[in-house]
Amino acid sequence: MRKLVWMVACFLLAHAGAARARDDVVVVLDSGDARITLIDQATRQPIGSFATGKEPHHLMATPDNRDLIVANAVGGDLLLLNPQTGKPIGSVPDIPDPYQIGFSPDHRWFVVNCLRLNRVDIYRYDQGRFLLARRIALKSLPSHMAFTADSKTVYVSLQDTNSVAAIDLPTQTVLWTMKVGDTPAGVWLTPGDKTLLVALTGSDAVVAVDPRTRTIVKRIVTGKAAHNFRSLADGRHVLVSNRVSDTISILDMDTLTKVGDITGLRPGPDDIELSADRRWLWVTFRFARSVGVIDMRTRQLVDVIPVGKSPHGLYFYDRAPFYDNLPPLSTLAHTAAAR
Amino acid sequence: MFTPLDWISHVTNMLVGQAQTWVFVTLVQPVLYHFHWMVDDDFAYDGVLWFLAGLLQIILVYAVLRPLEALRPLEVWPDRRAVRVDVLYTLINRLGLVNLVLFFTLQPVVDGVQAWLRLRGIDNLNLDSLWPGVTDRPLVAFFIYLVVLDFAGYWYHRLQHQIQWWWELHAVHHSQRQLSFWADDRNHLLDVVLQAVFFAALALIIGVPPSQFVALSLLSGALQSLQHANTALSFGWLGERLLVSPRFHRLHHAVGYGHELGHQNNARLYGCNFGVLLPWWDILFRSADFTTALQPTGVRAQLPPPQGQGEDYGAGFWAQQVLGIARMLRRIGGTAASLRISA
Repeated sequence: MRKLVWMVACFLLAHAGAARARDDVVVVLDSGDARITLIDQATRQPIGSFATGKEPHHLMATPDNRDLIVANAVGGDLLLLNPQTGKPIGSVPDIPDPYQIGFSPDHRWFVVNCLRLNRVDIYRYDQGRFLLARRIALKSLPSHMAFTADSKTVYVSLQDTNSVAAIDLPTQTVLWTMKVGDTPAGVWLTPGDKTLLVALTGSDAVVAVDPRTRTIVKRIVTGKAAHNFRSLADGRHVLVSNRVSDTISILDMDTLTKVGDITGLRPGPDDIELSADRRWLWVTFRFARSVGVIDMRTRQLVDVIPVGKSPHGLYFYDRAPFYDNLPPLSTLAHTAAAR
Repeated sequence: MFTPLDWISHVTNMLVGQAQTWVFVTLVQPVLYHFHWMVDDDFAYDGVLWFLAGLLQIILVYAVLRPLEALRPLEVWPDRRAVRVDVLYTLINRLGLVNLVLFFTLQPVVDGVQAWLRLRGIDNLNLDSLWPGVTDRPLVAFFIYLVVLDFAGYWYHRLQHQIQWWWELHAVHHSQRQLSFWADDRNHLLDVVLQAVFFAALALIIGVPPSQFVALSLLSGALQSLQHANTALSFGWLGERLLVSPRFHRLHHAVGYGHELGHQNNARLYGCNFGVLLPWWDILFRSADFTTALQPTGVRAQLPPPQGQGEDYGAGFWAQQVLGIARMLRRIGGTAASLRISA
């Protein structure tokens, strides 16, 4: 019955002119409006907007790239979209407080950071089904996550306790936690899982942690309120957004140094996406109700597109590989299917 | 394709959003960063919106209702000195000061309770998801939440009058004898906290989206300012039955008739016209009065003998707050003593 209701709802949405069917849309989560804005990637014009669940913050594709998952943190469910057109195609109920979500590289685990509820919920992912394995209470404000390439460990930043936790996925237990600095947010593993980078939103730096010795090996000054990472997909550089200085810093993962800044941005740069040709960098401006497009040849902001309140996550299908320590999800899915 | 609602939303976003961004980035964010409070930057950004929306609401309400009170007053007063304290109440309430205090004191508790419930499989109701595609449309959802919250508000208000110690707090609101559009926010701070906790919890349980909660609060605040306005404004026979009018609400404030515990001297037991925005609940539960002629407002005990006891309810903000607590404690003490006697 529930499925039928959803099919009807999706049909209504699809035929209400809410979302035009295109295969090159940019999906932007307006977390403060509980809506999604769709942008034509070619013309960079908004082409539609529709209600999602309450407080959608983050989104990611399923391992087989068939569905785009929008996590409604307050709504307590996942909305599934067609990743190419942005059209709603279903939902997954009863996923409490999905603030940040992630699949382990082997696709066995689906991890949910429940920011408000101070928990990390770990689900077994089985051909599109989410089976709760364990809820782990973690104080407090678990926000971002990064997986090791072997899918054995997930690192979670704990914003309110200024620490990072390492969770063993096979046993779903906390291996350790360590203090890293003021209000840690984005976490990032360099190639070979050698170094864990942690962006400090309460500070102006990214700290480099050796996860084996649990020591901070370097503090890299980036900009005020370092927040979130995105690979430049060249195996060497990673970007980090700085929410107060309104810049994006480019870090060299080999030397652990800052090698450049993208400046002149709007307030609150947050989530970042890179086009498949590495030319265009899209970024949500959390405190400016807009999304920006940066030309990576000139490192200049060339377009600003108005969207809703507190835009957070954004996604488009034809993008550069996201992670530095993992192969692209589509490749992983292909390998998994072949196995 | 964009709907007209989308365009309205985008234009509003542009105007409000630019002001919100400027205030946040220029005045608030540097303070948060300096004092290592960045963990609350999302909340602060939302708080700026509350502040700006409250400020805009005060300006608009003043621009519309003050001329109306001047041109068509219901009561003519020698001066408006007694009204000044209500301006302070309005600024405290509508500029988000109360929300700020509540966030830091109660939000962790609310989150903790919610986490505990979720762990036991007890979920929010999320009324707007009852019929996907219909009830989750913004206007439909807005109307559903408005009606549900208003229904709860009706019974909440009735209890404020019926429970004796609570009435002594609520009497701060009723003690204004020069009822003007500023009077809506004249409430005892403890009463404000109780009310905020109740409605925030209810909103959370039934799943009011944060953006709609702002809109609902703004609409409710503006209409309640209108209800208290000192103006001879008629909504007509039908209008009075659809929306609480100044006339309807003024009767609720009538001395010894609309609200008091006592039921002597033709007073109605526990009063009449409790509706917050919609008079429907008063009609349904037989507490509506559309016919009685308007009377002076205030609390009977304030009046000099023999009509009242000449009780002081305070002229200034702090006096009203302290006296409210004193009356509440006296009432609780009296109730306890009478219980001991009867035992």
